[in-house]
Amino acid sequence: MEITSQQFKAVSSSKLKDAKLQKALKQAKGGFVVSRAKVVKELDNFEEIRQAASDVRDHCLAHLDSYLEEWERRAQEAGTVVHWAESYEELNSIVVQIAQDNQVKKIIKSKSMVGEETGLNQYVEGHGIEVKETDLGEYIIQQAGEHPSHIIAPATHKSKDDVSELFAEKHKRPRLDDAEKLTHEAREILRPHFLDADMGITGANFMIAETGSTVIVTNEGNGRMTTTMPRVHVAISSIEKCLPTLDDFALMMRLLPRSATGQVISNYVSMTTGPKRAGDKDGPEKFHVIILDVGRTRVLGSELRDALRCIRCGACMNHCPVYQNVGGHAYGWVYPGPIGSVLTPAYNGIENAIDLPNAATMCNQCGVVCPVKIPLPDLMRKLREKQFEKKLKSNMEHWSLRLWAYLALRPKIYSIVTRVMARIGRILGGDSRRIRRMIIVGQDWTKNRDMPAPSGRTFRDIYLNKMNKR
Amino acid sequence: MSARENILARIRSANKVAKNPDVIGGTAVDRIKAHPSSPLPTLDWENENHFKLRCHELASSLDQIDSLDHLPKAVNRYLNENDLPKKIVCWPEFADLNWSDENLQMEGRSAVGEDKVGLTGSYCAIAETGTLVMLSGEDQHATTSLLPETHIAVVSRSRILRTMEEAWELIRNETESVPRQVNFISGPSRTADIEMTLVYGAHGPYRVHVIITE
Amino acid sequence: MRVGLFVTCLADVMRPSIGLATLELLKREGCEVIFPEGQTCCGQPAYNSGDRHTAQEFARKVISEFADVDYVVIPSGSCGGMVKTHYEELLNDSPEYRARAQWLAARTYELTDFLVNVLNVDSFDTTFQGSITYHDSCAGLRELGIKKQPRKLLDRLNHVEVKEMSGPEQCCGFGGAFSVKYGDISSRIVDLKCDDIEATEADAVVLGDLGCMMNIEGKLRRRGNHKTKVLHIAEVLTGLVGNETE
Repeated sequence: MEITSQQFKAVSSSKLKDAKLQKALKQAKGGFVVSRAKVVKELDNFEEIRQAASDVRDHCLAHLDSYLEEWERRAQEAGTVVHWAESYEELNSIVVQIAQDNQVKKIIKSKSMVGEETGLNQYVEGHGIEVKETDLGEYIIQQAGEHPSHIIAPATHKSKDDVSELFAEKHKRPRLDDAEKLTHEAREILRPHFLDADMGITGANFMIAETGSTVIVTNEGNGRMTTTMPRVHVAISSIEKCLPTLDDFALMMRLLPRSATGQVISNYVSMTTGPKRAGDKDGPEKFHVIILDVGRTRVLGSELRDALRCIRCGACMNHCPVYQNVGGHAYGWVYPGPIGSVLTPAYNGIENAIDLPNAATMCNQCGVVCPVKIPLPDLMRKLREKQFEKKLKSNMEHWSLRLWAYLALRPKIYSIVTRVMARIGRILGGDSRRIRRMIIVGQDWTKNRDMPAPSGRTFRDIYLNKMNKR
Repeated sequence: MSARENILARIRSANKVAKNPDVIGGTAVDRIKAHPSSPLPTLDWENENHFKLRCHELASSLDQIDSLDHLPKAVNRYLNENDLPKKIVCWPEFADLNWSDENLQMEGRSAVGEDKVGLTGSYCAIAETGTLVMLSGEDQHATTSLLPETHIAVVSRSRILRTMEEAWELIRNETESVPRQVNFISGPSRTADIEMTLVYGAHGPYRVHVIITE
Repeated sequence: MRVGLFVTCLADVMRPSIGLATLELLKREGCEVIFPEGQTCCGQPAYNSGDRHTAQEFARKVISEFADVDYVVIPSGSCGGMVKTHYEELLNDSPEYRARAQWLAARTYELTDFLVNVLNVDSFDTTFQGSITYHDSCAGLRELGIKKQPRKLLDRLNHVEVKEMSGPEQCCGFGGAFSVKYGDISSRIVDLKCDDIEATEADAVVLGDLGCMMNIEGKLRRRGNHKTKVLHIAEVLTGLVGNETE
């Protein structure tokens, strides 16, 4: 997917003014945050389980080469064809090759963020093969020709009215005004595709080394359809999605649905190990898994390594005050919110996403809800350090900080300068004691807010004056 | 070198560079062999009751019978109550029960798009989450619990386990290797992709009916 | 006990009443208060902008200034969090300073934490009366676990009624440089915070961090609300408020 993160500031400002989007974001926030809080409370040792999950993910990353080899060996024993890809182009071309080798004309697809990264749909369609997204949200997005704005709720930026209009136009049927009817219309439209598609593509939430399996977690059942109905199944995933054992997977499942949608469990958890067995009446004849490494190994060897623990639940964005107000598209790439602010520059180059690590209040709401304890604000700060080292900071920010540091490291001059500033600020504040318009530094503060004026004397002066009087 | 070799080499070199301690320790092979359990929920519950409670929360309906002989009657009762068709596709293991007494047309085969009601057994069930566990197999068709609008599942009371970990342990002990697909089914298919409105029957069944038997 | 007062650069210049109120609270309990005159800033602006080297200079400066006290008290969760949870990592390339950072972190307290858990203060002489709603500032809450402490203190006041707002833990959108660099987003976040504050109809919103106070007060006033007071908890506990201290 093309990256547009450098437009973050302009796009986010326009998203703030988009009334329809604001309504949708408010709705989503209420749903996700409230539901998560409820099911987390119900699990009395949630924190202990969360720590264990973080430890398991770290352990797996520390032995990732061995786990991937163990996984591959067992997957191959079960008849899975395993491919490795070092670039988006390589993954996409493997998919097309498999499709062509098997005379595939139509593909049904269950949601995959790796597929979004590689721009898979566009590539496959460019080779004359039809691809149907089947997750309702992804289907809506595909029909609208847009990108997902959230990793688990891709169409969360769209209102019901948008969907009504879109479906009426694309399905050439009478307009429906009810979420239930719209959902069932999509079901009706997509059902024949499930039954006659030649190939199914899914992501993989996890790859389990103990059994050589891939797992997908869904609510709609489209994932089960995609892994069961077509004669060829291709799962695309990335190296860090590995997990050691089935028990480790069970541990993750206590956290993933809770953190993602506030469910105790997702409706369908499907673990696939190889293609159809002798005697099986259903299931694909061929099963391929493609494992991607773009950016992952670079992050593994960097200070951002903890980000690879991510299990893609979306809790960080659901709880982020910035995401809650600007939505996912402003972030300009596949992963929005705090995890996106780390992964986007990490995978695409920090110079291509300067704003993202800075556009955070460092409130750490993301860090405390992350089921695998990724210290997201710390990682964003590491990226800021990289920007500073590479001199990617704006002149304004650079020089105002330099000036401030120069003064604040020299207490004598500092006390005089601050004394003057406090006086001037008091005068500027006038009777109302607030400054309504600042220039240069702070102009963006006073665009929509006042600046409370300083009260006129510094604490230092008042305190020292009192001491001297004694 | 192949992509595979390149990637594995990069992982090894990255892991040497990074200063992240492995807090759990041990090698990959050791952990896979020992598959230690992580902390489990500490809340105490009685499995059958908790399973029923969870089914209820997930919008699965429930019934119970003393023996499989009573299954046709229970199925018919459910179909009548919900005004559903009397033609059913089922796993072959149930095909020979006395369905004709209830005027039910039962076909033991894998399901197709036109089937409206599917009847399956289940390998086991999980109390913690109200989940049915299905293993794919020669006569355990995955389509039966997926394509029809209504899914009726028979669960044996003695196989209602506490957690997913227990289900994995049972699978390890009872099967030679994991089947092609292990499906954990928790209630009817659902989505909330349009304005967070919960809708049942996205792509899978609209209704899941669980019948617990001895 | 010798208690070092780190007044914070923001309170020093913008709102000295916070420092004076803190001083008063400590003195009333018999603390010997030390105010190192050369103190300026904890270094957080440099740290959060990615200038690690400058941040280290500030950390070493603060560590040296507070080398000779039993405790350090800071009327800010944000600056307290910087000293208590970030200095050690920041100085980890020097064993000497790393050890000194640990030493300092162990005796540094955010004000309300100090009043509740060290001094155990159970009554306050304050002129403040009225209803208040408490906003949990992010760093205090998530870095230092400041949640019950201010509420315990407020409970001990006779003429104060606490009305919890919806989402008191939701960030106000300040975020230091964020509030200036991403003014539109910051302003929207604080707008929503103001909605929650106003819905309580409390006389005052009280908190423990001046940055967030300025953000909230600036927004309330721009919205035309001149009624809801924005106060630091030290000001409430002493009655020494805002501009009255000139």
